[in-house]
Amino acid sequence: MAFLEIRNVSKVFGKDTYAVKDFDLSVEKGEFVAFLGPSGCGKTTTLRMVAGFELPTTGSIIIDGEDVTFKPPNQRNVGMVFQAYALFPNMTVANNIGFGLKIAKRPEEEIRQRVNEMLKLIHMPEFGDRYPFQLSGGQQQRVALARALAMSPRILLLDEPLSALDAKIRVSLRSEIRAIQQELGITTIYVTHDQEEALSISDRVVVMNVGSMEQVGTPFEIYNFPATEFVAQFVGTLNSYQAEVVDPRNSILRVDGQHLITSQDLSEFKPGDQVTIAIRPERLSFAEQERKANLIDCTIENITFLGSIVRIEVQVGDKSFHMDTFNNPYLELPKIGDKAEITCSREAVLILKDSRHR
Amino acid sequence: MTDSNYPASEIPMIDSMRPTRPAAKARVNGTKLFSWIIFLMGLIYFFLPLIATFEFSLRMVKDTYSFEAYRVAFSEPRFYREFGYSLLWAALTITFSLLLIVPTAYWVHYRLQRVRPVVEFITLMPFVVPAVVLVFGFLRLYGRYYFIVSTPLLLIAGYVVLSLPYMFRAVDAGLRAIDVRTLTEAAQSLGAGWGTILFKVIFPNLRVAILSGVFLTLAIVMGEFTFAALLVHPAFGPYLEEIGAMRAYTPQALSVVSFLLTWASIGVVQRIGRGAPGQAQIAGAR
Repeated sequence: MAFLEIRNVSKVFGKDTYAVKDFDLSVEKGEFVAFLGPSGCGKTTTLRMVAGFELPTTGSIIIDGEDVTFKPPNQRNVGMVFQAYALFPNMTVANNIGFGLKIAKRPEEEIRQRVNEMLKLIHMPEFGDRYPFQLSGGQQQRVALARALAMSPRILLLDEPLSALDAKIRVSLRSEIRAIQQELGITTIYVTHDQEEALSISDRVVVMNVGSMEQVGTPFEIYNFPATEFVAQFVGTLNSYQAEVVDPRNSILRVDGQHLITSQDLSEFKPGDQVTIAIRPERLSFAEQERKANLIDCTIENITFLGSIVRIEVQVGDKSFHMDTFNNPYLELPKIGDKAEITCSREAVLILKDSRHR
Repeated sequence: MTDSNYPASEIPMIDSMRPTRPAAKARVNGTKLFSWIIFLMGLIYFFLPLIATFEFSLRMVKDTYSFEAYRVAFSEPRFYREFGYSLLWAALTITFSLLLIVPTAYWVHYRLQRVRPVVEFITLMPFVVPAVVLVFGFLRLYGRYYFIVSTPLLLIAGYVVLSLPYMFRAVDAGLRAIDVRTLTEAAQSLGAGWGTILFKVIFPNLRVAILSGVFLTLAIVMGEFTFAALLVHPAFGPYLEEIGAMRAYTPQALSVVSFLLTWASIGVVQRIGRGAPGQAQIAGAR
């Protein structure tokens, strides 16, 4: 049995508004799992059910073999970090961190030691006597993290903890959170709508949409092998088009008069069937550099210099393809209006699951 | 906005649109002068009657200014008795008000946001229903119960109702300034029960708001006349009314003392609010 089991959990508001539908997930001890999705997809509601702030309508939640579905939040020993930090304004940093330990009636000396340990962990050893209003946003969130960890919780829950911070602090703090989590080996659920955050620090990512799980996998799997059109569109940028199956046995498709070969199995289709294909922009390159399985004639529409990446928009028939190539000052790029040939491997042509229709 | 890098001749349009320095200065000075005039008018409107009252209260001894009216007021045994009773009623009112309103306001904020407009409407009713009507309503409903009418229960209940808008608004404003839900859930996630949440997390962050409500309630009860007079209980309000009917200078002295007490109360609230760490700025984003 996994350390955390969320078994077929659903949450219904009102008569038939499903905030979460049949959510089923097993999380191993020490694993870092991110719930990723747009606003309103149910990720926070699911997190709150694990924390005990919402009761599931159906399903159960098991932590370390114990069914906690109907247990109040103050009896679950689950640490939580909120988007709004939620530090107690009337208490110092040290008192905030030691709050849970005081409630548990631990000895004063143990509380003091643990608080100092936590302050060291978050690299704020001199901040014990300050009040929350004297701290920056990043510092407050570190203290909130330390407060959640001070009780040695079984699970750590983070509800978009970085969304109130500016971009630079977000990047550094997410690495810190991951480092602390790995050091302590604590099972963690992290809710975010930022795909870069989810992909960069998680062991696994659960992509959610409209209350349902779209895909569960490692960041590599989610990005490179999206199971559904939603996942493909939501995670990273994408070229997606309607294609016609030409030869299912040899996995040949046609897009706007040009043939493409995919490595995916098309045996369930017959010639003439329509499917949605997706190609990541970074999987396309100019054929003159290296010819791969697929060759596509196109016209250069636009070139955008983004620093380390150059984004090129090409026209194939009446469709636009976006291509990302690494900036190379010695590579001569084509000009707008030039004819060119772009290429990609068979593996780069993905068939999106929920678009499979006949 | 000045543009000193460019000579005026090269930007004729901007130059013609830009106000000249003397004209701009005159406009700013005019606005300041107008603000000062309004401020002074307000000051005079508020303080002139007070000054007149104070001046009159010093005239008890003929042809000289003295604090004789104040000495007479404070040497009356009844003053201390009635004042003491009103303080007692105020203390009881504040206690019951806090026990009723603070948990209610908290729960409305935490769990019953949708009910808030209804609760707000109810707390505004004392502004609409005259105190006389309230008293007669009480007597009609509870007059037959000896244990109620023979004790100050109805008086305290009436005062709680009268202070409802002020106490609720003060506490409500305090709760709006903090993220009640997140603070509660944070405390719960750390193992806190309801007692700890309310007394260690929520109430300490409502200190200033509660004190504002307390002092407003104190001011209302101390000066209240209708309830005490109609329910026939000793209180400061009826005493002031009685003194006012019988004497000239002592009531004015007592009025000045009331104002000073009110300002002192507000000063205490301000002082406590300034001294409370984190009260002015609440941690966390919303």
